[in-house]
Amino acid sequence: MHSARSIGFRPQALNPYDRAVDALRLAELLPELPTDRTRLLENLGRIRREVGPLNPELSDALADHMNIRRGEVHEVVSFYSFLDVPPDSVRVCIGPVCDCLGAKELLAREQEHANGVPVLGVECLGHCEHAPVLLRGDSVEPDPVHRTNEGRSLGLHQRDETLADYQARGGLELLGSLPPKEKIVAELKASGLSGYGGAGFPTGVKWEAVARELTPRYVIVNADEGEPGTIKDRYVMELRPHLLLEATLIAMDFAEATEGFIYLREEYATARARLLAALDEFRAAGLLDGRSLELVVGAGAYICGEETAMLESMEGRRGMPRLKPPFPSEVGYLGRPTLIQNVETLAHIPAILREGGEAWPPVRLWSVSGAVREPGCYEAPLDVTLRQLIDDYAGGAAEEISAIVPGGAASGILPPEALDVPLTRDDLREWGVGAGSAGVQVFPRSYPPLRLLAETMRFFAEESCQKCTPCRIGNRGLHHVFEELEHDRVAMSRDQVEEWLDAMAATSICGLGQGAPFPVRAAFRYWAETFEPLGEKAEVR
Amino acid sequence: MSPAMVEFTLDGKRAAAPEGELLMHAAARHGVFIPTLCHDDKLDPYGGCRMCVVGVEGSPRPLPACATRVAEGMVVSTNSSVPAYRKTLTEMLLAEHLDPNPGGRPNELVDLAEEYDAEAPFILPDAKREPYDDRNHFMGYNPDACILCNRCVRYTQEVMQCSALSLEGRGPNARIVPTHGYSWLDTECELCGGCLSACPTGAIYEKFEERTERPEQTLRKVKSTCTFCGVGCQIDLNVDPETNRIVKVTSDPSYVSNEGNLCVKGRFAFNFVHHPDRLTEPLIRREDGELHPTTWEDALETAARGLARVREEHGPQTIGFLASARLTMEENFLIQKLARTVVGTNSVHSCEAT
Repeated sequence: MHSARSIGFRPQALNPYDRAVDALRLAELLPELPTDRTRLLENLGRIRREVGPLNPELSDALADHMNIRRGEVHEVVSFYSFLDVPPDSVRVCIGPVCDCLGAKELLAREQEHANGVPVLGVECLGHCEHAPVLLRGDSVEPDPVHRTNEGRSLGLHQRDETLADYQARGGLELLGSLPPKEKIVAELKASGLSGYGGAGFPTGVKWEAVARELTPRYVIVNADEGEPGTIKDRYVMELRPHLLLEATLIAMDFAEATEGFIYLREEYATARARLLAALDEFRAAGLLDGRSLELVVGAGAYICGEETAMLESMEGRRGMPRLKPPFPSEVGYLGRPTLIQNVETLAHIPAILREGGEAWPPVRLWSVSGAVREPGCYEAPLDVTLRQLIDDYAGGAAEEISAIVPGGAASGILPPEALDVPLTRDDLREWGVGAGSAGVQVFPRSYPPLRLLAETMRFFAEESCQKCTPCRIGNRGLHHVFEELEHDRVAMSRDQVEEWLDAMAATSICGLGQGAPFPVRAAFRYWAETFEPLGEKAEVR
Repeated sequence: MSPAMVEFTLDGKRAAAPEGELLMHAAARHGVFIPTLCHDDKLDPYGGCRMCVVGVEGSPRPLPACATRVAEGMVVSTNSSVPAYRKTLTEMLLAEHLDPNPGGRPNELVDLAEEYDAEAPFILPDAKREPYDDRNHFMGYNPDACILCNRCVRYTQEVMQCSALSLEGRGPNARIVPTHGYSWLDTECELCGGCLSACPTGAIYEKFEERTERPEQTLRKVKSTCTFCGVGCQIDLNVDPETNRIVKVTSDPSYVSNEGNLCVKGRFAFNFVHHPDRLTEPLIRREDGELHPTTWEDALETAARGLARVREEHGPQTIGFLASARLTMEENFLIQKLARTVVGTNSVHSCEAT
């Protein structure tokens, strides 16, 4: 209808996947959908699955139903990658790890045999241990298996099928007998636990800050794991969902929050099913009496892992980061103080409180993927080295190694010479990289660092929310510079690249643009000869 | 009660400003101009273009002066690394455009590029955007001039509370579009033109019937009151000094009653001024059935005589008064006075009431 009506911008339907709307189904569904703005994303997800991918008619119908302006719903729909594609689409991961193991060939093969089902290349799907990987509808191919180890803090080696399994392993004991707040903060501080999502903010300090603010407060679990090469939160949710829920309830008790949310990325269908089943068990056991803990499912946007972008997304707007300060611990969800914590970080807290902060061995989950024999997710000390991770945990290198990304896309890129460096924040700082999300990606000799860098910049450019200039254009520009360099062309001098990196790091609103220069600077440092065509970096500027 | 004044340091000098004022305005009080592309005083602070970042002691990164509020003891610097960032950010914006100013309209990005001597190091290969051609007669949009500052969209959402424009997509595909990419005529748009008044680069612009080749800076602005309704919006008639014709209508945020906002009539419906069909004198239809020019005295006299005759022959209740929406409240008062006391009817209506 819209295509006939409008002779302005787009005479054809907007979306190649646009299908006729099942008006009856829509009319049935709409009255069921809640009208609170915070339910927008949930409603859009339901319409996509139950009526069809969002097109202008569906978007407008929901806008009218929820009494939101149509233009604002369109802004939200178009922000996410998956709301306007059919749920049965084939999504082929083209992230760097999948790319180095043949994702482009896989994508081409799938497109050839598409049979009318849309086949899309998408950013990291978070199943890097099976690279190259794809999602056919909700199911992962190849069939996922969990490769992990016997860890003392998270115990991923054993899978909890039911709440009874979890209780048999000592689960829920803490929840009934939580120590006082001061003691919890003291234990967290003593443990040295810091945010494992990537930013590394000290957890004890964050909890203390939230407790200082006025009630009502919210607790939100950041399960929007999107950092390329990172699979750890998925392992926790798929293997020990009850552990995450207990840890979340501990956080809610601590924050005196009666409403909690888990913001889960859309691509994690198994984790979604496991969490929903575990939530049902918790509810049946009366553990949620007097409070609510809900799952919020995203729709495909890396930036929504940034905590303030996630808040915007949950409030029914485009997932564009807020200006900080104020931080979410002061002004968070719906303007209230909010404790936001990454899945893995939370999951360690029961062990810390049980064993005591001093006695807890500082460990984290390392996602190891790429050119290794047994890619997977392993619990290991913070000062483990890359060589230990590759040889002792991941079965050894599958090919000669050319480069290693230690902790997700923005952490930086290391040369093989760094294999024996302990991967602590302090040790890595000397190498000009960060520990990030501990998503260790091992790249083979056949995948040149320049290719890796260009792909990384393309990823950042695609995922930039567009709000701030340095991130939106800086990443696109650097992607262009490195693609040109692959063809021996110089788009911008080294000096000018450095100026762009300075501006991106200093003036970007959030970690995406601020962190993007890390891999570039690391590549300049360790593969200097590759970048010689750009010219010398001036010594004093 | 006006807010207390606080003292802060601006580029090493002591300065004062009302507590809580945006740094951008606090600095302007002391003659320090901080550039911005995405800020508009009518809109909530956004902090997107980053052109206005300044150093603030204690903050690990520079902060946007359009969204940061001045506080006692704040130490602000605009002269260390800030000028370099401004130049780089300008280069970035230029790299996103084949031609930063395809329409040749006033353009704040081009002004900044000149000021900072910034040039695009390259043009992004995907810089060309899908063109837009809308069938409405008032507003045009050239996506190639857009810098995604989002002022227009925020104006529609925050000021007009309507749904005419959307910030669509993410990353390299992000665009400002009339919602869904429809024609404006198929959205909620009322064609008030507020978005084009907010646009810093002329990407959204007036489709003039009265074309002028003159750069806007040379147009003569004549302050006036809009005659279309009783609100009394203050407008600037922009007159081409060579032809002495109105070429467009603007308004200024400082004007009371409308704060620079206009409606579709006030902004675009000025062509009647120079229109050949415009009535310039009273006309009376005589016995021959044709309209004949006459004087105001004669016209009023004729109308009064006619009304008096109807009243005498058929009674006052057969007469009703319909007042124009363009009248002021005082004029409407006089109409009902005329109806009730002179003619003796209570049938009085203004078309503003519907």
